Amino acid sequence: MPRIKIDHSKCTGCRHCEIACSLNHAGVANPRRARIRVFREGNVFFPVIAGPFVDAACTSKVDIRIGDQVYDMCLLCRASCPQKPFFIEAETGFPLKCDFCGIPPNPSCVHWCNSGALELVDD
Amino acid sequence: MYGCTGRCLRVNLSEGKHSIEEIDPELLDKFLGGRGLGVKVYSDEVDPQTDPLGPENKLIFVSGPLVGTGAVTGASCNVVTKSALSGTIVCAKMRGHFGAELKFAGFDMIIIEGKAEFPVILSILDDKINIQPALECWGRTTSETEEVFKKNLTDKWADRETYLVSIGPAGEKLVPLANIVNDRLLSVGGAGIGAVMGSKNLKAIAVKGSHSLSVADGDRFVRVVTTLINKLNSAPLTSQSMSAWGSAFLVGLCNQKGVLPQKNFQAAAFTESKDIGTEALANAFALRSRGCFACPIACIKKTDVNHPLFKGKGMAPTYWAIGALGLNCGIRDMTTIGMANMICAEMGLDPIAAGGTVATAMELMEKGITSSDTLKLEFRFGQGEDLLQALTLIATKKGHAKRIGKGGEALAGEYGAPGSFMGVKGLPMAPFDPRSIQGMGLHFATCNYGPHHLYAYTFIDELLNVHEELDPWSTEGKPELVKRYQDMGAVIDSLGLCNWPLMGLKFNNFVPMVNSCLGTDYRAEDLLKIGERIWNQEKLFNMRAGFDHTHDTLPQRFVKEPIPGGPAEGQISKVDEMLPGYYDLRGWSKKGEPLPETLDALGL
Repeated sequence: MPRIKIDHSKCTGCRHCEIACSLNHAGVANPRRARIRVFREGNVFFPVIAGPFVDAACTSKVDIRIGDQVYDMCLLCRASCPQKPFFIEAETGFPLKCDFCGIPPNPSCVHWCNSGALELVDD
Repeated sequence: MYGCTGRCLRVNLSEGKHSIEEIDPELLDKFLGGRGLGVKVYSDEVDPQTDPLGPENKLIFVSGPLVGTGAVTGASCNVVTKSALSGTIVCAKMRGHFGAELKFAGFDMIIIEGKAEFPVILSILDDKINIQPALECWGRTTSETEEVFKKNLTDKWADRETYLVSIGPAGEKLVPLANIVNDRLLSVGGAGIGAVMGSKNLKAIAVKGSHSLSVADGDRFVRVVTTLINKLNSAPLTSQSMSAWGSAFLVGLCNQKGVLPQKNFQAAAFTESKDIGTEALANAFALRSRGCFACPIACIKKTDVNHPLFKGKGMAPTYWAIGALGLNCGIRDMTTIGMANMICAEMGLDPIAAGGTVATAMELMEKGITSSDTLKLEFRFGQGEDLLQALTLIATKKGHAKRIGKGGEALAGEYGAPGSFMGVKGLPMAPFDPRSIQGMGLHFATCNYGPHHLYAYTFIDELLNVHEELDPWSTEGKPELVKRYQDMGAVIDSLGLCNWPLMGLKFNNFVPMVNSCLGTDYRAEDLLKIGERIWNQEKLFNMRAGFDHTHDTLPQRFVKEPIPGGPAEGQISKVDEMLPGYYDLRGWSKKGEPLPETLDALGL
């Protein structure tokens, strides 16, 4: 099954993927309407792809400490969750979810990512 | 309207009021937006004789029409005002994410007028425009300001999407060498604007928003952008050198060609380039690429500077910092250069202007024109601690550093040695020796903003030979080259793009991207014509501010003293030879004034 592989160590935080996504899905440039967002924790950028939200008990609200850096796992969680303002369509309030830009998968964010952080893999 | 939001925010700090205005679409047609729009609005509204630090002066932040749309490298926001250092109009280019976020917040332009009674921060968060007191932030360094501001936000998640520009202590104290710093330690290229922001008691501007930007022909735009990304990816300079080292890869090359200045431009040769080249950079810092908005090149290098003051965060020095703060002050130690660069970013000093000023002081002292007793500070070439101490004191305007903080020209003039100041129109020179790269020399002499490389990347052809192979020492074809690059720079700034992609792309490659985004049908010549119009508009402002052809010159050292050694030994700047040809090409008189028919043809 094709998946988008994220290598956050390569991400430069340019947010070109957000615009590629919103241009493809909403027809306009607006990161708030994108199904992929890049978040910064300390010096590291994390691309996060919107995923489904389920009404089960949440296990992500933890902070993980690696070295000097504390990572907020709630921020890095990919659920389009009502607890966060991300992955919620700004005008309608609908939750957003990545659809790999159709069948067969042809994600526009991967096309525009030049750093190598996003990659379409088939396994 | 495509690309643009068409809205302008006017903030009057004296009255604490703001209003939202529509931008005249005719102005956008004529000047594109960005730098062109800012320059036009500024010269219409501000008297050229105005005191840069007075409340009548205005400060304009303006993003180009392509910013935020996803156009390749469409990230830059321009800051237009009158420079506190040189007195010319200045249009500083701001990279990072602020420009794009400004567009998403729903504005193309912010015009700041008047002066606040007490220090304030302007925040534009989700359509809520607020002028709030900056009590906690005043006096803090730029990165601290960002931290404190974000900590005080009531919305838990808002800090993730908020972007800031701020001034450091140098700007607050009205040091003319100060500039604005945005988005975690990215200096905005251009000295003297930090003091203008400080004079308005404006500590920072924060933006965040969720407006959409529309694109004229989305499908075509996406295809064109994909092609451009692939093109940049296949060009060696943009895909390898810039991505790996940032602009610092130029150090070794410039050294080989004898362009890298040393000791206040007294020499241009350096035998041990391994001390300062890319290897040394990699040894000194752990590099990590960081991109401005929508940039596939990602030339900014984050790093860790091991110093308790900076808590393990920072920027690796660029070519300009290595040249101006390092070699031009005789310093080769990468760690010291990195520290100096960090002090500049945290304190809000311009690295090129501060480095040039310190180098002037060092030369004055070396030649015995002044002494450490008079200046109450030690300035010796090659002494890192002198540089670091001087930068800190200049930024905080403590004690005798006040005198040095006025800039190199004032300092050299005070001791009767104006020949020791290496700069034009009061602004210290970017680290390119104009004797061994003639086109850059001509640009430095004629640039409306003072000798800054940002406004004409002629070295792309002269040193790197990307589009044409030109001999850097020859004057042949240089006036044409300089004019073309200056106009091109004006267009690129006005659109809101970055100049670096020119190392992998031709100017013509941008045209389909512009047209598909804005729904226009420009040809490359049309765009260059607009660039020429912008350049002339700036020139007209400078003429009214009191600058004439006598200011279009280089320091005497470059015209009279040949380079003493190294690969470009014996070279001398032939700027006087090239100037008449340049004026001719521009349609200017022998005195460097635009002729009436030139202005008519440009519609000015």
